[in-house]
Amino acid sequence: MNIVVCVKQVPDVDDIKWTKENNLDRVNMLTKLNPHDEWALDWAMNIKSKFKDTKVTAISMGPNQASEVLSYAMAKGADRAILLSDRAFSGSDTIVTAKILAAAIKKYVSDFNLIITGHLACDGDTAQVPVSLAQILDIPDVIGVNEIFNADKNMAIVSQKHGKDINIFEINTPCLLAVKEEAKEKIVPKIDDYIRAQNKGIEIYGLDDLGFDKNEVGILGSPTMVWKAFRPQVSKKAVKIEQNFSERLVDIILKAE
Amino acid sequence: MKKIIVYCEVDFVNKKLEEVSYELISKARSLTKIAKELKNEDYEVEAVALLDEIEIESVKNAYKAGANIFTLIKSDSLKVFSQTVFAQSFVEYFNQNKSDIIIFPATPRGRIVAPRITTSLDCGLVADCTGLDFIVRDDKLMFAPTRPTFGSELMATIISKTLPQCATVRAKTFNAEFIYEENDKINEFKPISYEENRIKLVKTILDNTPNEYDFSDAKIILAAGYGLVHNKDRKYFEKLEQIAKLIGAKVGSTRKVVDLGYMPQATQIGQTGSTVEAEIYVAFGISGALQHISGMKNSKKIIAVNIDEDAEIFNYSDYKIVANAKTIIDNIYEKLSK
Repeated sequence: MNIVVCVKQVPDVDDIKWTKENNLDRVNMLTKLNPHDEWALDWAMNIKSKFKDTKVTAISMGPNQASEVLSYAMAKGADRAILLSDRAFSGSDTIVTAKILAAAIKKYVSDFNLIITGHLACDGDTAQVPVSLAQILDIPDVIGVNEIFNADKNMAIVSQKHGKDINIFEINTPCLLAVKEEAKEKIVPKIDDYIRAQNKGIEIYGLDDLGFDKNEVGILGSPTMVWKAFRPQVSKKAVKIEQNFSERLVDIILKAE
Repeated sequence: MKKIIVYCEVDFVNKKLEEVSYELISKARSLTKIAKELKNEDYEVEAVALLDEIEIESVKNAYKAGANIFTLIKSDSLKVFSQTVFAQSFVEYFNQNKSDIIIFPATPRGRIVAPRITTSLDCGLVADCTGLDFIVRDDKLMFAPTRPTFGSELMATIISKTLPQCATVRAKTFNAEFIYEENDKINEFKPISYEENRIKLVKTILDNTPNEYDFSDAKIILAAGYGLVHNKDRKYFEKLEQIAKLIGAKVGSTRKVVDLGYMPQATQIGQTGSTVEAEIYVAFGISGALQHISGMKNSKKIIAVNIDEDAEIFNYSDYKIVANAKTIIDNIYEKLSK
């Protein structure tokens, strides 16, 4: 079977840097693979280890630098990696991102059975792209999957936690699963895997390959735009406790001071 | 007259509207006043619910909360939730009754159905907004939702260049105000009966397994950070667990101590762990990395203990104790186990 895993390179939120104008200094921030996408890759590899003929394609939209997360995906065991990179894509909002991903999947992995994504990306934090992608491809989805019990060419069996309820779904393939929890088995690549991944190569496609006009994508094609961005004043004025720390702390906790 | 549609969240068992629906209706109504003030434009608020039937009390409350019209998209196929069926039914209605603005609840169901609807309508959607407003741009009135992004470190006001302009809003972001005129008129719409055969809910199991790390109803959370590491052993983590047991609290942790193996993954609070809203949250030896902050900042009372006077966590705290967290734990433990 054919599995597509959508991955995103995100700035490391533990390493936030600001420009003088109070904008995010994306150039100087460290980047990493979105944690939820790491889980998505692991789930795909867990399925691949059960069904040997499974082919996993990792796909990402981003600048050239995003090839780093695709190399990592291949080191984890992805068979193929596709980078959707074009200056015109920059600034795409969620619906346009989904359109670009959908166009690429239709053209280059048209025989997919399953798309696995992370539940959300920790920079934008919208959780909208997976749903939009399923809508455009006209496939069913389960969003917020916490376990994939089985997935084959016909059907996936998954669970989704909803408060104290655990919903078990059978979903026909092709379908999309957005995962919210870590896979049963985590894949940690070894040095050999990284070397093997380097030799595989990444397919790169842009605007023309996908048949978009530049007015349909990126900032120009996105229905939404940032009107203004600002840093919130979060500072609560904490009351400083000067003495008798433990007593005061216990009082605050137990007596709801 | 222009219209703001509020997509209502429903309780399928009791055929009622969920509280968040009233919150969004009241907020939409207050937005109509802003539109009037800024550009003298008249908007009305339409509450739209999708269900097979609805109790009349909810309809009355929707009007009292500020709705000018209440629409029920009514079909037997809307008895249980299916994102595709709900999206198709709503889109069918919308295409015959367009509005400039749609506000969705960012509930688990709302978050799944809203992007299906907006993608189908080929319009934008601003997720998880904490503020809704109007602005005037190029002499035009525009819906201007604001949302936290980047782990809440940045706020962005995002406008839509196309119609409808849509946003999702979390429950409890705004208050419902039942101050408007009561009515019980239902505008009924029967959609084509859609079906979703590709996905089947096999069963729903109640998660009864006692889970000491289920924070959903935790009143007090004691959270352990890297400042509790001592000679590479778990001594202070264990002590904190014992204190928690004595006072009926739950123990949370940060990604760092989870990654280093001091605490199980299930205790992790933050962006890649649980999001909590405790009555009382005590952070022991936690510096306040953004990824942790975004999971606990909505707790009602936050107390932080950290040796570093300038620790980021203090910016989010109600009480600040500058001290070695391990010493404090020793003292509390001694005090409580007497």
